[in-house]
Amino acid sequence: MSNLDHGKFTRVTTLFHSLLGLDVFLLFFTGYAIMFNDELWWMLTLMGGASGVTAIHRITGIGLVALVVFWITLQLISSTGRSNFSKILPAKDDIDAFIQDIQFVLGRADERHPSARQFAGYKADEVPLLSYIGKGVVAIFSIELTLLAISGLLIWSKTGLAAMFQTKAAAMAFVTFHGLLGVIMLMGVMFHVFEHGMHPAFYPVETKAFIPRSMVPEHHSEDDEEPDTTGIERLSLSPSWRSVSTIFGAMTVIGIVSVLIGSIFDEGYPVPRELAIGGGPSSILLTIGINLGMVVLGVGLVLSMYGNVLRIRWEQQLEEEREPPAAADGGEPQTDGGQPESDDTEN
Amino acid sequence: MTDRDDLPDVNGYSRASVLISAVVGLAVAGLSLFWAQGFRVGYESLYRVNPSVEGGGIGSDWVFGNTIPALDFLIALIHAADVIMGAFILVMVFIHWAAFQRLAGQMRDPGEDVSEAVAADGGSPTGGDGQGGDSA
Repeated sequence: MSNLDHGKFTRVTTLFHSLLGLDVFLLFFTGYAIMFNDELWWMLTLMGGASGVTAIHRITGIGLVALVVFWITLQLISSTGRSNFSKILPAKDDIDAFIQDIQFVLGRADERHPSARQFAGYKADEVPLLSYIGKGVVAIFSIELTLLAISGLLIWSKTGLAAMFQTKAAAMAFVTFHGLLGVIMLMGVMFHVFEHGMHPAFYPVETKAFIPRSMVPEHHSEDDEEPDTTGIERLSLSPSWRSVSTIFGAMTVIGIVSVLIGSIFDEGYPVPRELAIGGGPSSILLTIGINLGMVVLGVGLVLSMYGNVLRIRWEQQLEEEREPPAAADGGEPQTDGGQPESDDTEN
Repeated sequence: MTDRDDLPDVNGYSRASVLISAVVGLAVAGLSLFWAQGFRVGYESLYRVNPSVEGGGIGSDWVFGNTIPALDFLIALIHAADVIMGAFILVMVFIHWAAFQRLAGQMRDPGEDVSEAVAADGGSPTGGDGQGGDSA
């Protein structure tokens, strides 16, 4: 049993997850630097002002179109993709898992439902491809990314937008719509980072989405007895987990609440729906809160990179374990480990 | 025998599927780019970042604001969706936060005897580098 736990994703999926994450983080940083420019002025300036930010946003936007179309095509043309489709649809188990999560928190259930379990340990066989949260993430992200890509392309193509909306204000309102559309995903990603970064058994990052299942060792107990627990009680808690998870949890909540409030007041850039320039109340608390939200996203980006570093380290470790011990001089390792007793050695 | 034959079976994606999907993805992205801005190099100037005119205030073409009711409705709808989903996401954060606290309670404390403990990151349970719960 290890931090690697029950990897279920393929190499293509884990690589896609990393690329999509990198692309979406860049889209968030640029897009919300525009929308929340009152609060994130420094981010706007840091990325080259309005021109630089919109340029980066478009380049990463095209990257998003490529990634989304790649993924849809792969799911349609491959048997693996088609066979997995039923596994991402909501089922009764998901509702049961949600209810059991609440019961677990209240102390009325001893363990999390298999469809909610992040750490599977000895009970890895019970855990489905996606948890109920995983299914929700896939559903919300699929809808949001598709709508954001289409509305983004419409905004990019001024002629496309002008054909639909005759006035600049109406076109601006559509830009507002595009920005508001991404707020659900922005909040969802903050939760996603918290969920997979602060689980006590995986802290500081759950590697399931980075290390493909081909590289995760499978353990089967020798006896056929069903284990009573996942085995989490055998793991040691990291000394920094309590303080870091508390601080990061608070930042996540403040970030989500702040971007939600900000999206209501700062709804348009530069002109909101009611033509109240300035984007609502300029509040120092809102500024701090939205910036904390961006820090949460920044941590997510770093953890995504760290997950890949862990994958590379694990890959190297596997390679070392697979390779028979090589003699330092390239000779036969079966001899004395470095000095082959072959005929051509110098005597 | 390949170098991966000793690893668990993997029913992954075939190389052909991945290659075809990548080509389709890049082709559609290229076509989208062409549709959005043609073969022009560069990007539009600050079309939507010009709220003021001489003497302050807003440009005259902004005065009427958004006069399309459907768009107005869409924005109100997405506001409502943001608030509902935001509240739901917050509930999920709190549920997971509390669940993590309970799970942490089931784990060994950092200072506890670890003679039988297993490091969370697969390392030595007595290593104590503070990563992944493998400290002593």
